[in-house]
Amino acid sequence: MTAFTTIGKSVPKIDVKEKATGHALYAADLKMPGMLFGKIVRCLQHAHAKVVRLDLSVAAKMPGVIKVLGPDDVKGHPYNTGVLDLMVPEHVGQMLGDIEDQVVFTRHVKHQGDAICGIIARSEEQAERAAEKVIVDYEPLPVYLTAEQSMQPDAVQFTPLKPGNRAFQLPGEMFPNNAYGWGDVDDAMAKADFFVEDTFYVPKQKQCQMEPHAYVAKVDDGGRLHCWTSTQMPKCVHIKLARMFDLPMSKVTVTQTVVGGGFGARLGMIGEPIVAAMAMAVPGRPVKLQYSREEDWIASESRHPGKYWMKIGFAKTGEPVAVDALFRSYKGGYYTQGSGVAFTTGSWLGGMYKWGACRYLGETYYTNHAPCGAYRGYGNPQTNFVMEQLIERACGKMGADPVEWRKKWHKTVGDDGWCPGVTYPSCALDECLDRGAAAIGWSEKRKKFAGQTGIKRRGVGVSVMTHTSGAFPMLLEHTTATVRINEDASAEVMLACSDMGQGAHTALQQIAAETLGFPMADIHLKTGDSESSGFDIGAHASRTVYVGGAAVKSACENARKELFDRAAQYLDCPADQLTMRDKVIHAQATNRSISVAEISARGVFNYPDPATGERSGIPGQIQAYSSHLATHNSPPFAACFAEVEVDMETGEVKLIELVNAHDVGRAIHPASVEGNLEGGAQQGMGFALTEEIYYDDKGLCQNNSFTDYKMLGPSDMPKLTSILVEDPDPIGPYGAKSAGEAGIVAPIGAVANAIYHATGVQILDAPITPEKILKALKANGLSM
Amino acid sequence: MKKRDITLTVNGEVMEVTVAANQTLLEVLRETIELTDTKYGCGTGECGACTVLVDGSKPILSCLTLAATMNGKSITTAAGLAKDGELHPVQQAFVEEAGIQCGFCTPGMVLKTVSILAENPHPSEDEIRHKLEGNICRCTGYAKIVKSVQRAADLMSAGKAAE
Repeated sequence: MTAFTTIGKSVPKIDVKEKATGHALYAADLKMPGMLFGKIVRCLQHAHAKVVRLDLSVAAKMPGVIKVLGPDDVKGHPYNTGVLDLMVPEHVGQMLGDIEDQVVFTRHVKHQGDAICGIIARSEEQAERAAEKVIVDYEPLPVYLTAEQSMQPDAVQFTPLKPGNRAFQLPGEMFPNNAYGWGDVDDAMAKADFFVEDTFYVPKQKQCQMEPHAYVAKVDDGGRLHCWTSTQMPKCVHIKLARMFDLPMSKVTVTQTVVGGGFGARLGMIGEPIVAAMAMAVPGRPVKLQYSREEDWIASESRHPGKYWMKIGFAKTGEPVAVDALFRSYKGGYYTQGSGVAFTTGSWLGGMYKWGACRYLGETYYTNHAPCGAYRGYGNPQTNFVMEQLIERACGKMGADPVEWRKKWHKTVGDDGWCPGVTYPSCALDECLDRGAAAIGWSEKRKKFAGQTGIKRRGVGVSVMTHTSGAFPMLLEHTTATVRINEDASAEVMLACSDMGQGAHTALQQIAAETLGFPMADIHLKTGDSESSGFDIGAHASRTVYVGGAAVKSACENARKELFDRAAQYLDCPADQLTMRDKVIHAQATNRSISVAEISARGVFNYPDPATGERSGIPGQIQAYSSHLATHNSPPFAACFAEVEVDMETGEVKLIELVNAHDVGRAIHPASVEGNLEGGAQQGMGFALTEEIYYDDKGLCQNNSFTDYKMLGPSDMPKLTSILVEDPDPIGPYGAKSAGEAGIVAPIGAVANAIYHATGVQILDAPITPEKILKALKANGLSM
Repeated sequence: MKKRDITLTVNGEVMEVTVAANQTLLEVLRETIELTDTKYGCGTGECGACTVLVDGSKPILSCLTLAATMNGKSITTAAGLAKDGELHPVQQAFVEEAGIQCGFCTPGMVLKTVSILAENPHPSEDEIRHKLEGNICRCTGYAKIVKSVQRAADLMSAGKAAE
């Protein structure tokens, strides 16, 4: 095994000291001279309505008000908060039917919290007071909270671009019969020896990143728009704002502030178009827009909920001969990532097991909820909840051990991954299953917990998953990194990759240090500046270490090559015979050395000798870059084991232990990988047990706060064990695969299956609340 | 809105501040005094990101505290824990144990930890988890935060032993 100097070590993360002191600056912490404050007036009392009267005249005269903005006061094209328009070619976007259906201020309210108009005032309080004086009259429209309601022929149309309110279905031009998959499913299913089938419900889960959305924007005297935001995608926001407001990219710049959690909530734009529109109304003055937690809740995106039907056919041998599925999700009021999640939900299904034939239909209908967008896992949690419970049921029918069945039938190296035609280059799932099973005591506990009769019953469950490392080849995977060696032999690495707390920047700096052969402390990572960085698609699809890391590695290799080429000239020795230690390059043959500092300084301070005119060395600063386009997506795998205790009288579930064994390829920064798995587990177990945004029949959110939306707290969490299985991937930088999103996925099925093991009932609706368990126990005659 | 002048000691610095009757301590810290290390996470006392310490080790939620009621009090924020560029042992523990991810809950978590350890220098894991209930983190699953608190307890008792 290669000995690394930095990679694989949990060095102190590069950004945590300033986070520990609180000095780190998030968007809401910014204060600028002359700064004004924006306030959005939102429709709070209706989920579907027409604005029939908007009177801003009283608000405009309120103390401190500088400007009021209605729908007609905003220039700029309709937009889509998502970024799929930048990730696929235009003709593919057209085929998919991706659309721009959002405007800054609307006259057609499509969900509670839709933005009606804006106030700009000297203080936040003055803006709020003025907002109270805005007069809006609404004509209520019928409220649609399921696809089945909004697809009715007489339903009000959300947009003329999507007849029948079907926001998306897999297009026939790309997916024959509107289905993702392969083989003849009907034939295979008919020949199957037995099948399992059910319709499930998956919940509308909220990212709940701790930092509410906040922005500052300013238009300078040259007409240049500057936006400060905690987006996950500074470069994409830059491009999208430019396109929306018909500005050249050179007239826009985006500064990414420290990101207080993302999880998909900041994938693309949220409030940027609104704060930009406000800034354009008051040129020369910065405008700050801070969302309240309630606004963050009702007016930013969530996971896609909906009904998920699945049928799996098996041969007597246990072979999964066919899988057939339909995920019909409830889109919310706007299209956003309409095609994305509808597709990937099926692709995660297709990539998991050796299905003989596979057919997945994904479609999504407009509803009067807050729009659904990206949330960690991007369809994978939904599939895990459904697929893994059905596999568990089938294992029961077959009398197969769920671990052994999975080992036999999961896809592996050489099989097609989530994108047919792109095969798995590495897979350590068997080792994940073995080590995870050993850690939780699988065999003993499966036996021990069989036939319990008490009030409190234990169960253990398993679930597996595969995800992706970037979205190649479906979407553009491109990062540009630039490395500059300073005259004192320190180095700057410049790129627009995002750290949302997942530790990516530290890992990228480790890759730079390892590749250059420099100490971590001598490298500075310059990020968050859309203007000085080259292109980067942004943080999505768990790509940052895999794609961004490859860009950094390649740029650093180029810089190192230049450094060695110069050393070769100075030392009169071929570059391939040189070695470097402590930033001194040594030629063994001649026993001569030159320091990196000397090479760099002689290039930068390249003085001509006054007498001879001769230069002091090889001229020029060493700067290298890489514009890296991914050629693969090396999916990670994981096996998760959960132990629970269910109270058969109350339906209460106590989480006892969770073991997450993750095939990470190589852990660049092991503590960060563990942190992502542990944080993912909290969110995944929340999906399984407690988390769902609820609406009343008028479409008004019933739990827009941390008190009413239950996340698992420190005392709810079970003992967590993370096992990092390192089987270096042949493609990822230093063998790394992704670990960002994955942690959320497999705990969902593992917890659901542990409950099944404990109680003998499967709950088809997530989250699995005590009420649902009691109802199911009663229905199955298992009540205590 | 009626205003009044109050005296606050913030991170050891005595200051006169004019506050409106309806202004929260969080607003005064962030906007008037311009100390942005205290975070707004919910504004309703549910997340703990705005935690500060009063008179050394009593944690309060600054978003629910009217600034006017703090006249004469001493307030410590996360920035005030570090001295001369040296992290407080609790902050050091969070750095060492990778108990920090996005960092938004961190100032509140660190201050809550100071209060937990002031009350009991050697808390059990259950006690730590119970006392952290008011501080929400969405990144870590609390695993490394709990380890950070345990590490902080070790660092602080080692520090005390050395004194």
